[in-house]
Amino acid sequence: MRKLFFVIERDLRMFVQYKFLIIMRAIWFVSQVAFFGLIASRMVVPQLADIYFEYYVAGVVVMMLYSASVFIGYDIFEEAEHGVFEYLLSLPVSRKELVLGRSIGGGIRSFILVGPLIAITLFIIGLANPVNFLIAFFSLFLFAFGVSGMSITIAVGLKSADRFDILMGVLNAFIIRLSTTMYPQVFVQEANLAYAKVSEFNPVTFASDLFRWGVGIERYFTMTPMPLAAIIGLVIFFAIFTFVGITIYERRLEGGGWR
Amino acid sequence: MAVIRTIDLTKRFKDLVAVDHLNLDIEEGEIFGLLGPNGAGKTTTVLMLSTVIKPTGGTAVVGEYDIGKSPDDVRKLIGICFQEPKLLWVSTPWDVLNWHAKVCGLSTQERKKRVKQVLEDVNMWEHRRKNVHGLSGGMRKRVEIAKILIQRPKIAFIDEPTAQIDVVGKHKIWNMIQELREEGTTIILATNELHEADILSDRVGIMHKGKLLICDTPKTLKDSILGGDLVEIRLEKEATQDAFDELKSFHEVVDVVTVKPTNLKVHLNKVEEIVPKIMELFMKRNLPVTSISMSEPSLDDVFVHYTGLTIEEAQRKSP
Repeated sequence: MRKLFFVIERDLRMFVQYKFLIIMRAIWFVSQVAFFGLIASRMVVPQLADIYFEYYVAGVVVMMLYSASVFIGYDIFEEAEHGVFEYLLSLPVSRKELVLGRSIGGGIRSFILVGPLIAITLFIIGLANPVNFLIAFFSLFLFAFGVSGMSITIAVGLKSADRFDILMGVLNAFIIRLSTTMYPQVFVQEANLAYAKVSEFNPVTFASDLFRWGVGIERYFTMTPMPLAAIIGLVIFFAIFTFVGITIYERRLEGGGWR
Repeated sequence: MAVIRTIDLTKRFKDLVAVDHLNLDIEEGEIFGLLGPNGAGKTTTVLMLSTVIKPTGGTAVVGEYDIGKSPDDVRKLIGICFQEPKLLWVSTPWDVLNWHAKVCGLSTQERKKRVKQVLEDVNMWEHRRKNVHGLSGGMRKRVEIAKILIQRPKIAFIDEPTAQIDVVGKHKIWNMIQELREEGTTIILATNELHEADILSDRVGIMHKGKLLICDTPKTLKDSILGGDLVEIRLEKEATQDAFDELKSFHEVVDVVTVKPTNLKVHLNKVEEIVPKIMELFMKRNLPVTSISMSEPSLDDVFVHYTGLTIEEAQRKSP
C-alpha cells in the first residue's frame, strides 16, 4: 500500500514541474469563459443568457478535468521515449500498484489543476447545497480517475505517441461534443436521436450533469432529478478503467508487452 | 550456491534471436561479467532476468523465484543500473534518488543518509537540484549508478557502468562496485569494456550473437588460449642450439621465435610457472639473461580466440 502512495506521489511531483502546461491550461479556461462563454450566451434568448453562461462555465470545468486527466497518457509516451518506463517496470512495485497508482495520481493532479477553476466556478455560480456539492465533487474524482485509467489503457495499448495523439483528439471530439458539457440533453435529442443515446450514456455527460447538480443548476439537469444514474454511470466507468483495465494492461505490461 | 540460473533462456524479436538458449549459473556474492559487443544479447538478458521483458523460450530462477511465475518476488531482490540513464528531463538528481530509495523501502532516516552519502561519493551533491536536462551524459550516468548504490539490492544488474565516464570517475565507480559486492550484493556486470570485465569480474561469460560462448574466471579463460602468454628474453650471448631445444621441450612452450640471436620471443602457457624454469635453464648453460618481459593474453585475445573477431569488429557487424 505504501508503494501505491509513492507511485501517486511521483506523478504529483512530476506534474508540478509542468509549470508551462498549468499556466496555459489556466489561460485556456479563462479565455473559454471570458470570450466563448460570454459571447455564446448572447445567442440564447436574453432571459436565459446568464443561466446558459453558468451552464457553460460548469461544462468547461468538466472539459478541463477530462483533458487534464488524459494528460497522464502523454506522460507514458514521454517516459517510454526516455526509457523511464523500463525503469518503473523494474522496481519492486507490483504492476497493479503501478497502474492503480498512476490512475489515481493522474486523477488527483487533474484536480490540482482544476481545483482553482472549480473555486472560480463556485464564485460565479454560487453554492446552493454543500452536501450536493460534496457528492458531485466526489463523483468528479471518480470521473478523473476513470479518464486517467482510460488514457493509460489506450497509451499502453497503442504503443505509438502519434497514434495516441490522433486518437485522443478524435475521442475528445466525440466524447465532449456528444455530451452535455456545452448544451443540454434536450437539444442533443432534438438534433439527432442517435446522438442523444450516446450523450445519455457518456461519462462526460454524467460528470457535467452531476457537477451542475452539485452547484445547484438543477433546472437544467437533464437526466433524473436524483443524480443516482449519473453516479452509478461514473462508478461503472471508474471500475472499468481502473480495475478491469488494470487486469488488461497488467498482462500487456508484464514482460515488456508494451514495447 | 547459484543465485541466478537460466535454463535455455531465449528471446526472439521477429527474425532476430537476441538471446539464444542461454544456460548459466551465477553464484551468490560474485561479480559476474557478461562480456560482449553491442548487440550480443547482454542487455536483453538483463531485462529478462529483471522481469522487464518476457522470454520467448526457456526461463530463469532468480533467488528462488521463477521470472515467469513470480515476477513481483524477483523484483524485490534486484536493482538495475541501466545502460542509458532512465531519467525524466524535468527531474533533479535529488528527486530521482530520493524517490528511488523510498520505493525500494528505505526508512526516512536511512534514505536521507544514503542519498546524501552516495550523491557525495559520485560527485553529484553540488548538482542535486539541477534539472537532469542540464546535466552532462557522464553526470546522468553517475545518477543512474547512484540508484543501485543507494538501494544495495541482493542482486544488482549493472549495464555498462562506466560508459561516458572519465578515467578518474571510472576507477571510483569500480571501487564502489567492489564495495557493493563486499556488502553482500551479487553483481551481474554487462559490459563491452574488456579491461573493466577483467579487473572486476570473478567470472566472465562471453556472449556473441545471443549465445554464451564460454564462461569461466578471467585467468582460466586467458590460460585457455594455447600459447597466449608471451615472454621476451634478451641474452648477453647467442643462445646455443641445445638451450634452444631444451626451451622448446617444455610442455608449456608452444613456440620460440628468434628475433635476433640474442633476442627470443617465447609463446607459452602458464607464464608464472614456467619463467623460473626458463631462468634456471639459461643460468645452467651460462647464458646470462639481460632482460625478460612477460605479457599475458587479455580478454580481447580471448574474445578473438573464440569469435575470430576483435570486439570492435564484432560491434561493427552486430545487427
